[in-house]
Amino acid sequence: MPRRVSLYSLTFSLPLLIWQLLFFVFPLVFLVALSFWTVKNFAMRPDFDGVNWVTMYGRAVFWQAYGTTFALAASAAILTSVLAFPCSYAIAFKLSESARRWAIFLMVIPFFTSYLVRVYSWQIFLSDRGIINVVLGWVGLGPFGMLNTVGATMVGYMTLAFPLVVLLQLFSLVFIDRSLIEAAHNMRCGRLRTVFEVVIPSARVGLTIAALFCFILTFGDFVSPVYLGGGDPTTLSILITDTTKSGQQWPRAAVIALTMIATLLVVAFVTVRFAYKGRSK
Amino acid sequence: MTQISGEELNRNRAVDLALKVYVVLAYAFVFAPIAASFVFSFNSDRFPSIPLGEFSLEWYQAVASDPLVWQGLTNTLVIGVIVGVVSTVLGFGAAYTDYRYHFMGKQVYLALALLPPTIPVIILGLAMLAYLSRIDLSGRAISVIISHVVVCAPFAMAIIRLRLSQMDPSLEPAAWNLGASEWATMRHVIIPFTKPAIFGALFITMAVSFDEFAVAWFVSGLNETLPVKVLGFLQGQVSPRINAIGTFVFVISMTLVILAQILLSGRSAPTVEKE
Amino acid sequence: MNRDTLVSFEGVVKRFGSFVAVQRMDFEIRKGEFLAIMGSSGCGKTTTLRMLAGLEAPTEGTIRLSGKPINHLPTWERDTPMVWQSLALFPFLNVRENVEFALKMRGVGKAERRRRAEQWLDRMQILEFAERNIAQLSGGQRQRVALARSLVVEPEILLLDEPLSALDAALKVRMQSVLKNLQRETGITFVYVTHSQSEAFSMADRVVIMSRGRIEQIGTPQEIYGTPRTRFVADFLGSSNIFSGKVTQSGSTGLEVATRDGAFRLSGSVPHLPQSGEEATITVLDTKTNLSVTPPEGNLNVVPVRVIGEEFVGATATIYTETDTGHEIKVQKSHDELASLPVGAGQRLYASWSPADSHLVGAA
Repeated sequence: MPRRVSLYSLTFSLPLLIWQLLFFVFPLVFLVALSFWTVKNFAMRPDFDGVNWVTMYGRAVFWQAYGTTFALAASAAILTSVLAFPCSYAIAFKLSESARRWAIFLMVIPFFTSYLVRVYSWQIFLSDRGIINVVLGWVGLGPFGMLNTVGATMVGYMTLAFPLVVLLQLFSLVFIDRSLIEAAHNMRCGRLRTVFEVVIPSARVGLTIAALFCFILTFGDFVSPVYLGGGDPTTLSILITDTTKSGQQWPRAAVIALTMIATLLVVAFVTVRFAYKGRSK
Repeated sequence: MTQISGEELNRNRAVDLALKVYVVLAYAFVFAPIAASFVFSFNSDRFPSIPLGEFSLEWYQAVASDPLVWQGLTNTLVIGVIVGVVSTVLGFGAAYTDYRYHFMGKQVYLALALLPPTIPVIILGLAMLAYLSRIDLSGRAISVIISHVVVCAPFAMAIIRLRLSQMDPSLEPAAWNLGASEWATMRHVIIPFTKPAIFGALFITMAVSFDEFAVAWFVSGLNETLPVKVLGFLQGQVSPRINAIGTFVFVISMTLVILAQILLSGRSAPTVEKE
Repeated sequence: MNRDTLVSFEGVVKRFGSFVAVQRMDFEIRKGEFLAIMGSSGCGKTTTLRMLAGLEAPTEGTIRLSGKPINHLPTWERDTPMVWQSLALFPFLNVRENVEFALKMRGVGKAERRRRAEQWLDRMQILEFAERNIAQLSGGQRQRVALARSLVVEPEILLLDEPLSALDAALKVRMQSVLKNLQRETGITFVYVTHSQSEAFSMADRVVIMSRGRIEQIGTPQEIYGTPRTRFVADFLGSSNIFSGKVTQSGSTGLEVATRDGAFRLSGSVPHLPQSGEEATITVLDTKTNLSVTPPEGNLNVVPVRVIGEEFVGATATIYTETDTGHEIKVQKSHDELASLPVGAGQRLYASWSPADSHLVGAA
């Protein structure tokens, strides 16, 4: 097989490399530079000044938002994983081959269809005069204020992440060697216990990665906290949009963005380490 | 003596049934907002709730008579098609590179090819806005295209790479051995084999671009796409007009995703059934 | 029921939809024996084992363990540990944890678990690998872990589903003697499913031969080898020459069968003697068949043949010949015995065997 660098090989490899360098790496690197710029009279000036970092990190509201965002994303990752697992488990082990194909087919669709409109639609269910409160009213309950709560934000986060989490969990579950489950049963391990002793340990990598993706998606999301959570409590993403869209404080927004990326990198690293812990090839 | 016929010994019917009910509920949760948007887009009441009002097309008419919506739709479609084509071309190149070559720094190359979708869109939007306005590319349709390709190319790459991994690795050398040049082999072997994935990738990347609002919101300036328009509506008052646009958006993206899935699930060559 | 009986299958049938995997099976497994169930793939041998393990439910009939019906018991309430073809070792647990698994499920305390697991690891000569991951072990070591994992609970019976199929030939032979010795020392009943004749015949006390969901024959290896009960068994073992035809004479001292290749005699006492005119099939082992250049003297069955080819395995050679009607006759001999015989392809020879070495196949 020809291995040397040729016009042919470069034709295929270079375009994406150039594009992602120019429009992915450079913007992110520029974000680092931007965080050291200064703003005077609503105009940005190239500079090398740590003032934005000092200002942002000195604000209680930033750390509050950070804590809130982290806690929300972590809760969403755990909640979504727990709620998705019985669904993935049932699809993997209790459905026929063709039903499983349909289930996957259907789950892929919402993953690629407008998250924004789906979040908006939840308002129809959750608002004070919405479907859920009307139904509850029929049996003499409510109305409950469900919109603009953390619960509503969670519903939005699940709208975003649930299909992906189910799909990722599913892919690790369907590849479990069925004889492992039989062997566990054969050694006196009952149904439920087998789920915890064999199924979950076998699928650990996939389940952890699914939770990680849920964390990543929800950590950066601003639609659910704004349109379902009512913007309160403030998350980092809300802070970024506010800082960017009003007041030309892009350098401060950059500080927030970089802090978020750093957080995601650390979380991803730690999670992947955990997922593969004790495994050797 | 107990007679257990047919049914599996180590299963519990009640548990199985409960799990299946759970699956149905999960899908109901996932599809409820889509269904609601569809139903209420035809509902005459100003405030969407039950009981339903009368069947009405007024929200569609309101949307259709809004020139800004038409402008947004045109932008979305033009941008979507261009992004789809460019992303698929770039993604194909990267997928083939990964399939065929081993080189120093391949890990980094693959990271660049696959990571962008994991960066929160809000951060990407901010970085793009700052960077593109610096190089005078901000606030135009091209800005949206550039940013969307960054996010979409990895999807194309993944889809096409998956297809290449299903190809018999000796096909390409066999073609060379029969006297085909690398270019001819690309044209007559690799591309025909990956064709379903190429179109699948095209549709998926178009759907992703079609639905993407956050980055577009940051960088589009006056060239707003339809989702950015929806975002604008959302910031205003609640209006069933969003349901009308939403239903329209759902129909288009679902069509694209369904087409892509059909293409990707189809077997390329009729495989001989074993047994 | 016999006092020695550990397991009995009584009219057991297993259907998957319209496919009948096992049809009306009646047999017993004796305490402390090494029983091999043998047949080609799809014959129902693995289904039989899985029904005993509680991984499949019989469609009809009863399976008893120590006299008690166990049909309704899920696998985790039976004491029928199994060794899988894939071994099914848990990759997320290390060697020791794998072996401790069944004890943990029985609620055995930590220290006791450890002690018993180490005892078995030591017995299987893999104690030094106790803390290793499964992925770090060789095929033979994994085999030992799988055995230790199943035997640690010291069951009355151990089920094995083609556990050696993934090993190379030399290791296979080594593991066969490990298994046989283990079975002899522990006295645990082994039920061993395999498609390999050499595995079954070298280890088992008794062999069950299955075909298309039916038991064709049960017996010691010697019985099955020397006196196949059905034409299928004779064919399957591949070590007999088989002739079918009509009985022309039948008496207390033997019978004569007219086949397309001539009339052959069979002597000795025969149970259920067929009447003249009935169809019958006779077999003779390839080791009891001789070849010569001239027709041999004496009271022998003789048929002229033509050599097709030869095959050497170790110290023995098998000469393949065919009769004028194209019927195959093979002869197995040591190299020395064949030294003086011209066996080039196409060579004309005479095949012969004694009527006393002929065997009447039960069915026919």
